[in-house]
Amino acid sequence: MRLRRTKLYLPGNNPNMLLRGHLFNPDGVILDLEDAVAVSEKDAARILVRDVLRRGDFGSCEVTVRINAMDTEFWRTDIETVVPCGIDGIRIPKVENPKDIALMDEALSQIESKAKIRVGKTLIFCLLETALGIWRAYDIAKASRRVAAICPGGEDLRADLKTTRSPNSEELIGPRRMVVLAAHAAGVDALDTVFADITDDAGLRRESEWVKQLGYQGKSVIHPNQIPIIHDVFTPTAKEIEQAKKIVEAAAEAAARGLGAVQVDGKMVDKPVVKRAEFTLQRAGLKAGGEK
Amino acid sequence: MKTAQAGTLESMDCIVTVTEAEKGRGISIVMEGASVARFGEAMVKATKDTLKSLGVRDIFVSIQDNGAGDLVLKARVEAAVRRLAGGKAA
Repeated sequence: MRLRRTKLYLPGNNPNMLLRGHLFNPDGVILDLEDAVAVSEKDAARILVRDVLRRGDFGSCEVTVRINAMDTEFWRTDIETVVPCGIDGIRIPKVENPKDIALMDEALSQIESKAKIRVGKTLIFCLLETALGIWRAYDIAKASRRVAAICPGGEDLRADLKTTRSPNSEELIGPRRMVVLAAHAAGVDALDTVFADITDDAGLRRESEWVKQLGYQGKSVIHPNQIPIIHDVFTPTAKEIEQAKKIVEAAAEAAARGLGAVQVDGKMVDKPVVKRAEFTLQRAGLKAGGEK
Repeated sequence: MKTAQAGTLESMDCIVTVTEAEKGRGISIVMEGASVARFGEAMVKATKDTLKSLGVRDIFVSIQDNGAGDLVLKARVEAAVRRLAGGKAA
């Protein structure tokens, strides 16, 4: 299982952040060619991002690039430039149509093949930033085997919903629930949007706890200071890990003896409980497996 | 004379300005910034290597540096040269 608790956005035309962002130890970095880059700087950012990717010094981070949306003139050049560098994935903004994902899959395969990269290596992360995108979340997640995660939008989605930001983001409750349901039904990760107020640590913790409870695997991050808070929320505690180990071990023992259920600390443990315990261990990095 | 520019004066970046030169004039490079005294030679080499890889033989290059390393300098030179040529930068 790949940990995706935090994915830090790095502005694509900012050498300082591009070269140093991974040092803050997020689980992943997103080199951003989209909103963080002015239209007049797309060309220069693309070259800079390409060269930073070629250097390839990102520690253990999952490396993705947010390309420009597929209704712009930039996206093809974006992928032709960054995919041959051997990145882990691309993040596509404003996805609304499963057919676009199929088209992207094909385009990626061609580039990978030409660059002698394993076809299928480059994963797709879909940003669903419109009502239509959210509505079609499941079909989008199933449109290609490359899709690793779907993510609800923030500000763009609010605008499309003709609403504004409220203190507790009530306006995004429905979309967030739809995305997490679609993600798990499709077998991909659900990754939450950014928390925009970088000075409100308590608000970030509250929101992270809430989306974790909904079933999200992590959040996008716009400031390095947000990383430890989100990691703290999404990392199982020592007590949770201990309990999970007990359950998994007891289940394995029961299976070896041909038993279906077993007791742990006086409580019946059946399949869903074991599954949850395995997931806790995966999240703690103590067990392999899980989603791509 | 046609001129093009790329980069910023943010930390670890530089502004590279390139100006067309007549055929046979060769490559002229002027640099300013805190790193020039220590890394000027390496910066000239990085610039010339990039120009060579792009097939540029005659050009004026001005670099205002704010701590850009080789990687960033090369990227900015390439972007400026491609802008000068009027083509897509990558």
